[in-house]
Amino acid sequence: MTEIAESTPSAPRTQSVTTAAAGPGRQSSARVFFSSPSTIVLLAVLFAMVVFSFLGPLVSQSPSDTGFTVLSPPNGANLAGTDSLGRDLLSRLMIGGQVSLFVGAAVAVICLTVAVTIGGLAGFYGGVADAVLSRVSEFFQVIPGIILALVAVAMLGASLPLIIVILSLTMWPGVARIVRAECMRIAELGYVESSRAAGFRPLRILWSDVLPNAFPPVLVATTMTIGRAILAESSLAFLGLGDANAPSWGALLYEAQAYMQSAWWLTVFPGVAIFIVVLAANLLGDRLNDSLNPTLSRVK
Amino acid sequence: MNIAWAMHALRVLLSSLLLILVVIIIMFTLLELAPGDPVQSLVGQVPVSEAFRAEMAATYGLDRPLPERFLSYVGNLLTGNLGYSYANRQPVVDLIVARLGNTLVLTLPSLVISSCGAIVLGAFAARTRSRAADGTVSFLAVAGFSLPGFWLALLLIMFFSVNLGWLPAQGMSSFASSGISPTHLILPVIALSASELAFKTRIMRSTMIEVLGQDYIDTARSKGLSPFQILRRHGLLNSMLPMVSVIGFSLGYTIAGAVTIEKVFGWPGMGSLLYSSIQTGDNLVVMGILLVLTITIVIVNILTDIVYGLVDPRIRARMRTRRGADA
Repeated sequence: MTEIAESTPSAPRTQSVTTAAAGPGRQSSARVFFSSPSTIVLLAVLFAMVVFSFLGPLVSQSPSDTGFTVLSPPNGANLAGTDSLGRDLLSRLMIGGQVSLFVGAAVAVICLTVAVTIGGLAGFYGGVADAVLSRVSEFFQVIPGIILALVAVAMLGASLPLIIVILSLTMWPGVARIVRAECMRIAELGYVESSRAAGFRPLRILWSDVLPNAFPPVLVATTMTIGRAILAESSLAFLGLGDANAPSWGALLYEAQAYMQSAWWLTVFPGVAIFIVVLAANLLGDRLNDSLNPTLSRVK
Repeated sequence: MNIAWAMHALRVLLSSLLLILVVIIIMFTLLELAPGDPVQSLVGQVPVSEAFRAEMAATYGLDRPLPERFLSYVGNLLTGNLGYSYANRQPVVDLIVARLGNTLVLTLPSLVISSCGAIVLGAFAARTRSRAADGTVSFLAVAGFSLPGFWLALLLIMFFSVNLGWLPAQGMSSFASSGISPTHLILPVIALSASELAFKTRIMRSTMIEVLGQDYIDTARSKGLSPFQILRRHGLLNSMLPMVSVIGFSLGYTIAGAVTIEKVFGWPGMGSLLYSSIQTGDNLVVMGILLVLTITIVIVNILTDIVYGLVDPRIRARMRTRRGADA
């Protein structure tokens, strides 16, 4: 298994982000990234979903008000229809978005922190951190993280903090591998050599010379982690393993299944919300990767 | 038998056993961390008799210190005793084995469809001169794995079963008939294949682009081979190497996807069993399924490793020369 893992060019289950090529294309990557119109569109879509979820409740119906007609299709008062208890679906989508987006962001931040620490040490020093990282990555390459998360949440209880921690535990190696690869590449570059020659302490070099330059590809991986975390949480919630006090988009789908035949809006809208956010995050990651990686353009 | 091969086989076997051990340790840790009464956290929210309680305490050494608890836990697993499901009144092994076949009926066709489809689509996207065609395939691929599989399943049911009434939405066969009917298989297999197809298409595309940029492709072209011959003989063969391991790893992920898909379609496989056991808190079954899945995945990985050796001409060549050297 080790052999396969090593000889596979792109690690199958981590984001297939190839480390950015050093060279003249590098400086302009930010410009390429932002000048491309679809990047702006994608960022706008994500921003719109955040505004919808967090500011929407200020102007919408109350999500817990059960006074509406039960299971009514989208109409003037309830733009997305109502659920089986007579609650406004649009406002429930906003609350669900808060939970889903929060899980995505929280998992991504935790993964980023752990990945920068362990991946940085592994790439710069090797040693114990490297051994730990490669064993854990190999493990998650074989055993699907979502299955472990499922079993863990089922046994320990479905609370939001626990779900975030467990998803982070299964997802950090993907980001850490990329940090490691970048740090290994950068550690060989001239300016790191000169910092060494100037007598700076290794940790300082890692912090101020290596990590900042490893940032772009790590950003790509983190962006995609947001999408993966939202998908994973929605699977858990769909199996009834969501936090009962914080119904996410996945939890709305869990409730919707009983009314699939009669109330299409309950199934369609939460799924569309998940799809839009995850797609935007993944496309953004792809865009970012392309702009960082001019060598990976397709054959003429 | 040459020594290099034996060493390799031994290493693969050891790392597989280690992996299973790690999963067992995780399972034991979860059981220790699970809140509440240890007997209840094993059997779930069902009232148990005092006799059964005493039996569980003895089997799992619940009153003994941690190291002994761990040893009796591993000992039970090694003897094939995954426990007794009090809620189902059946040994856990029997419960799982009865469902394993149904899950494979769903996952194996999905694995084949997503792998073959990915090879064709990925190669096409990498090779085509049409930017629009490549762009479409690439976009659909990202869209495919941004889509929650279970939501796609729900949409398929709403459209093909509820609206059009063409295909059945639930179970493996029509009411009162047994076996598995092909029409019942169509929707779940589509829902299960989609994201893996998308994921593998992306990898196939980038692998193929890399392969087509190699010098030997130029050589082949200068020899006067047609583009199709180049693609088939040189492109596909060289892309297959990374694809074999990707396909091997994807079985585990297909099975993981099957959990939600089986729930949506009421397909009586391991995923449905996992779901119902989660609902009742039947943790012995939950952990048993995790262990059976792990072992299944590990076996497939060993097979993948063998196939990889067969496909890779470099490894084959090394074996031959070693064999020559040994003789």
